[in-house]
Amino acid sequence: MIALSPPLIRRASLALFVAALAAAVWRAPNPPAPAFVPPPASSPSALPAYFTAAMLPQVAASAHAATLAELPDGRIAAAWFAGSREGADDVAIWFTTLDRKGWQEPRPIATRESTAGALFARIRKLGNPLLYSDGQRLHLWFVSVAVGGWAGSSINHTVSLDGGDTWSWPTKLQTSPFANISTLVRTPPLPLADGGLGLPVYHEFIAKYGEWLRLSPDGKIIDKARMVHPVRTLQPAVVAQDSQRALALLRDAGPFPGHVRVATTTDGGQHWQAGEALPVRNPNSSVALIRLASGRLLLAGNPENSREAMLLWVSADDGKTWQPSRTVETAPDGGAEFSYPALLLGRDGRIHLAYTWRRQGIKYATFSEAWLDGAAP
Amino acid sequence: MMMSAVTAYGLLTHGLIFGALFALLPLGPLRHRAALGATALALVAGIAPSMHGIFGTPSLTLLQLAILAHAGRPSPFNVRIACGLLGFSAIFYTATLGFGPFDPYAPGYQPLPMLTMLAALGLLLWWRGQYAWLLILAIDLAGYASGLFANLWDALIDPLLVLLALILAGYHGIKRLRRRPQKGADPVR
Repeated sequence: MIALSPPLIRRASLALFVAALAAAVWRAPNPPAPAFVPPPASSPSALPAYFTAAMLPQVAASAHAATLAELPDGRIAAAWFAGSREGADDVAIWFTTLDRKGWQEPRPIATRESTAGALFARIRKLGNPLLYSDGQRLHLWFVSVAVGGWAGSSINHTVSLDGGDTWSWPTKLQTSPFANISTLVRTPPLPLADGGLGLPVYHEFIAKYGEWLRLSPDGKIIDKARMVHPVRTLQPAVVAQDSQRALALLRDAGPFPGHVRVATTTDGGQHWQAGEALPVRNPNSSVALIRLASGRLLLAGNPENSREAMLLWVSADDGKTWQPSRTVETAPDGGAEFSYPALLLGRDGRIHLAYTWRRQGIKYATFSEAWLDGAAP
Repeated sequence: MMMSAVTAYGLLTHGLIFGALFALLPLGPLRHRAALGATALALVAGIAPSMHGIFGTPSLTLLQLAILAHAGRPSPFNVRIACGLLGFSAIFYTATLGFGPFDPYAPGYQPLPMLTMLAALGLLLWWRGQYAWLLILAIDLAGYASGLFANLWDALIDPLLVLLALILAGYHGIKRLRRRPQKGADPVR
């Protein structure tokens, strides 16, 4: 073995450290200040009053947590998780598309086995999926758990370049230093001006709160912010108000009775502040939020103390006040559940809604702004 | 199936960490063979994938300590450093898990301020003659520069390293307690 002299060790260790430090400084991201893609100019929707609803093809005894995206060719894509029951070994992420012939036969695009095989890591169960189309790529983020309950979740990401026919091997987002646990996804991202995305996520190990991940155009996390709130909150649904301001509406996971909770940012998502709760009640259930073609905001959620109805509210003043709009479905029979809504505004102005139907399947509805305003179809 | 660099690193490192535990056992001349055998076993018998799934990607600091254990070299990870790490991680992990408004993990995604502090720490280590830790820190930084880690914190520390610190501090504490003369025992003359 070569014996190094102490002065040589002294000099060599310092030289190595300086070189490694310089390389780390070179590699460290130093992106410009974030900015949202501002909402497009509002225009009144010309679509007539219109509403249709149908069940998506049933694939298993239990289904939950639907997500929607519009593909470049205008098809609507849907994904959800389904299996014998929530959290079971056989739960998979199912995917289908809506074309002129109707909904295609759903097929699993991520299973426990395929995810474990791709990540070479133990996976116990799969959960919430999230679809998003950026025009070229169809993104799928989905939750997986290695040990324990949903609080032990982490987020996986996979991409399709052919409208969902084939998918890349999933990779895991590194979002937490503690065994990478307790970051979950549910609600769609916002496009950023630099070509990246702002991805709303949430944390639910010990504390429960919303979080915001800033993704670079190549999908790497380059910032993370906490949506600090005095009440336990989950599942932020976010809309941009201009290039710097955004509104997040959150599920109330605090004591009953709850309200839809609010967080806002005025610096492109770098910091979030708690706002005054909406007068809209929330029974600890997920909400969905989009901006309509008219510029108004549309909120979907549940009534005061149960998930027995799927309701819609509209705001014409950027979220300051909300008016009840429509009841999409209700069945006060004690066991009904219409929950976990996903909203999508199509490029043609149609509004798409998918939600969990009695935990047995996913129901899909499409309607126009005129129908929201009370006109009969 | 193509394995990503992060996955390959995670699996191999967890295998080496598992093997390093055997290198610490009092097995005499069989120690190194047992450590290598345990590493191979972890990789082929599903232990490393389970550890990878549960604990996530290990830090480069822990990997280097595991390699030192395999090589039979003295570890710079002494009880003082273990206690310091335990104190730091108690605050760090508590804050990252949601206690308080600040998430100390977030600065690791754009770590230029952190790197400034690590530059000062490196100079302090060099000045104090702590060359082993200076090299460990240099390799941590080189690993971050390679793109293996999205967040600088993940190159530096991880929960298994903290667990190791807890075991080391606990073992040292028990040894100290045993060394104390017991009440009622004959005083040493």
